[in-house]
Amino acid sequence: MLGAIPSTLFEKGRKTLVVLEAKGVRKYFGGVVALSDGNLRCCQGRITGLLGANGSGKSTMSKIIAGVYRPDGGEIWYKGRQVHYRNPKEARKDGIALVFQNLSLVPDLTVWQNVVLGMEKSRGIFLDDREAKEISRRILKRLLPGLDVSRKVYELSPGEKQIVEIAKAIAENPKLLILDEPTAALEQAQVRNLFAYMRELAQSGVAIVFTSHRLWEVMEICDDVTIFRNGATVAYIDFAREAKDPEKIVNYITGEAKENLPREKERLRERLSSETLLRVRIQSRTKSLQDGLSFELGRGEILGIGGLAGQGQSELLYALAGSHPKIRCEVEMSGRKILVRCPQDAIQNGILLVPGDRQQEGLFLEHSVYSNMIFPKLGLPRHPTLIPERKYREECMDVVQLLSIKLPGLDAPVNTLSGGNQQKVVVGKWLSFNVQVFLLADPAKGVDIGAKRDLYEYIKRLAREQGIGVLLYASDHEELAHYADRVIIMYEGRIVATLLGEDITEEAITAASVRVR
Amino acid sequence: MEVMQKRTVFPVVFLRNAFLQPETSGLIMFGILFGITAFLQKNFFETKSIVRTINSCAPLVLLAMGQAVVVISGGIDLSSGAALSLFTCILTTVMKQNDPITGVYALLVTFLVALGTGMINGLGIGYLRIPPVIVTFATSYAWLGIALFLRPTPGGESVPWFRVFYNMRVVEGIPETLRVFGTYIPPALLLIIGACLLWYLVSKTRVGRYIYAVGSNIESAYVSGINTGKTQMFACLINAICIFLAALFFVGQNQTGDARMGGPLTLRSIAAVVVGGIALAGGRGSVYMAIVGALILNFVGRIIFFANIPNAYQTLVSGIIVIAAIAGPAYATLKRELH
Repeated sequence: MLGAIPSTLFEKGRKTLVVLEAKGVRKYFGGVVALSDGNLRCCQGRITGLLGANGSGKSTMSKIIAGVYRPDGGEIWYKGRQVHYRNPKEARKDGIALVFQNLSLVPDLTVWQNVVLGMEKSRGIFLDDREAKEISRRILKRLLPGLDVSRKVYELSPGEKQIVEIAKAIAENPKLLILDEPTAALEQAQVRNLFAYMRELAQSGVAIVFTSHRLWEVMEICDDVTIFRNGATVAYIDFAREAKDPEKIVNYITGEAKENLPREKERLRERLSSETLLRVRIQSRTKSLQDGLSFELGRGEILGIGGLAGQGQSELLYALAGSHPKIRCEVEMSGRKILVRCPQDAIQNGILLVPGDRQQEGLFLEHSVYSNMIFPKLGLPRHPTLIPERKYREECMDVVQLLSIKLPGLDAPVNTLSGGNQQKVVVGKWLSFNVQVFLLADPAKGVDIGAKRDLYEYIKRLAREQGIGVLLYASDHEELAHYADRVIIMYEGRIVATLLGEDITEEAITAASVRVR
Repeated sequence: MEVMQKRTVFPVVFLRNAFLQPETSGLIMFGILFGITAFLQKNFFETKSIVRTINSCAPLVLLAMGQAVVVISGGIDLSSGAALSLFTCILTTVMKQNDPITGVYALLVTFLVALGTGMINGLGIGYLRIPPVIVTFATSYAWLGIALFLRPTPGGESVPWFRVFYNMRVVEGIPETLRVFGTYIPPALLLIIGACLLWYLVSKTRVGRYIYAVGSNIESAYVSGINTGKTQMFACLINAICIFLAALFFVGQNQTGDARMGGPLTLRSIAAVVVGGIALAGGRGSVYMAIVGALILNFVGRIIFFANIPNAYQTLVSGIIVIAAIAGPAYATLKRELH
């Protein structure tokens, strides 16, 4: 497939300069392969699109080029010489600018101070503020007309911050500009402005790499696209030579007709016969989740939540767990109205959350497995004043055996366990409660394959045998395809599609996620 | 995009925004306390009295300004009082009463020691990335220990001309013009103006900008290519210079060194910074507002003295006033977090 990349480029009879060429780049995180064969070529004056599903390696690729990560193999050639950047600073010095996602802005400084931050010019010994303001005004006039550059960054909306971030990268006068999903937080009109400016920059000779989940954006602005799947470059399409065919691109992204894994055909039937366990209606005061969004969850059902990353899935789960400050939900459980105003309400009603970031939100890392498992119980009303140590230890041992958690002992600190076993502890701490609904936010992130299977099989058994409902958000669509009985696809805080029975395939989920306009 | 954000009626928004600035409540508080003090203290506006007021709060103002720089850079200095004591001890140890030139030596030696203490704090905070509370708590004992070694009991010698840092009129052998000048502007005020000038110059350079950036969000500053260690080191050095100026004033005033005089000033300087609306989280606030904070704390003490509040309640009342003074900036910060 890689033969598709031409060795030399001629455009209108003129040779185009190759600014960057990456060949066979590999990157591992722990034992996980993030990138197995990354190839990319960027040319002067061209906008190159990077496409791929969640975790396909395109973000990793961008970060390697910008020096954020160091590759474990492969070659990167920049302006005719092989480069080995150790940090972003070295890459920046060479004229490679990566637009961070709200990572590099300082909230208490003004917009213009942020735009020139780290590369201020002085006149004499004092800073040249006039020129700095002028530079930021010049760039931002194009991207966000009407923005006062003297405002403090903390007052800006997420979209405005993203634009300031882009302006900051442009102010460096880069030769290669990498925009990693810059449009995710932007509105239509802002995207238009950005595209117009990108085109102008390209015409002045800048090479641009553009990543987006929105297919139509890439088709509109890019001169060529490189498509990633499972950590490898699978296709290169030059729009000057080939037609813009969305079907073909989606096929490259999802991978054509994989062998279908044996699936339980009874899923659909089971779902239809089951009674409704949970009825949810969202009252939202934030843009990240639509007000009035509603859905049902059946007894014993695993309801998958799909879609691109960051489309309101985690907000939905947090709201149900009573942990989102700006979203309330009306919840009806088995026909009875219940109030979920705070995490304790949710816990007492058996709505239990396994958060996505287990190290931050799910565990007390330095504390023992035992402490972690009993912590949630201590907050319950009518908990005995003295902790019934022996009883709790026995219960913990039961859970450890049930989930086959591998650990040196109950008193071992949680951070000495592997990722998979840590996740089992997070799930296990809820098992002594009266579980009604499990909310799982990306439970298999950073979990090895064996533990992942254990975990999902266990949750499935729990759902089937005890009739609990499971709400499963997974950024890996393969997991959804494997385990969900029904999948809802979310986009910008709304449910845009529902997949049932035979339709639940990895390809269908990914296609439904990216083809939304 | 054509959409300019429509704002509601100008004066309303202006007032609301003004009240949400942490500085505003500090200035209002200052105004109120200034009024009360002026009312209670009959001779408040006499020249002598004004000079006395300036002298009584000069060390705290200088310490608070230094503290403010460190706090804005994302640190905190629990050793500033101890450092002040140490500098007075070194000054009075190096100086010999009958040898005027020793005063110059003392200035030089102490200035170098001051830079050294700033450097050690900066090394711990900025480069070794040890929590600032721990670094400066540890160094505060080191400074105290050295000070006690030099001067187990208050005392020491000072050259007579050192009085220029306190009161120029009593010093003999200085030019008449300087003496007249000193009559109109008390040396304490000159020291404070010096510190302000130092910060003004720094704030116009890269370092000043970076001190805010690092305190506001150290990771963002780092990925923007800022040398965060160097920046925090600089903040500590500026702080050390402010403490050094305070030491000059103290020795000029008392002609002695005292290993224990600075201790209580540490927490007062932090309180002044907070009352001045400077966020302890770093990155927010104005160094000059630390002066206002220090003045507020000073006025609280005066009001209690002049209002004839019974001894037993003095601490309680001053505590309540300080809480009220802190409430304003705290509320503004809270509002901002919610926004």
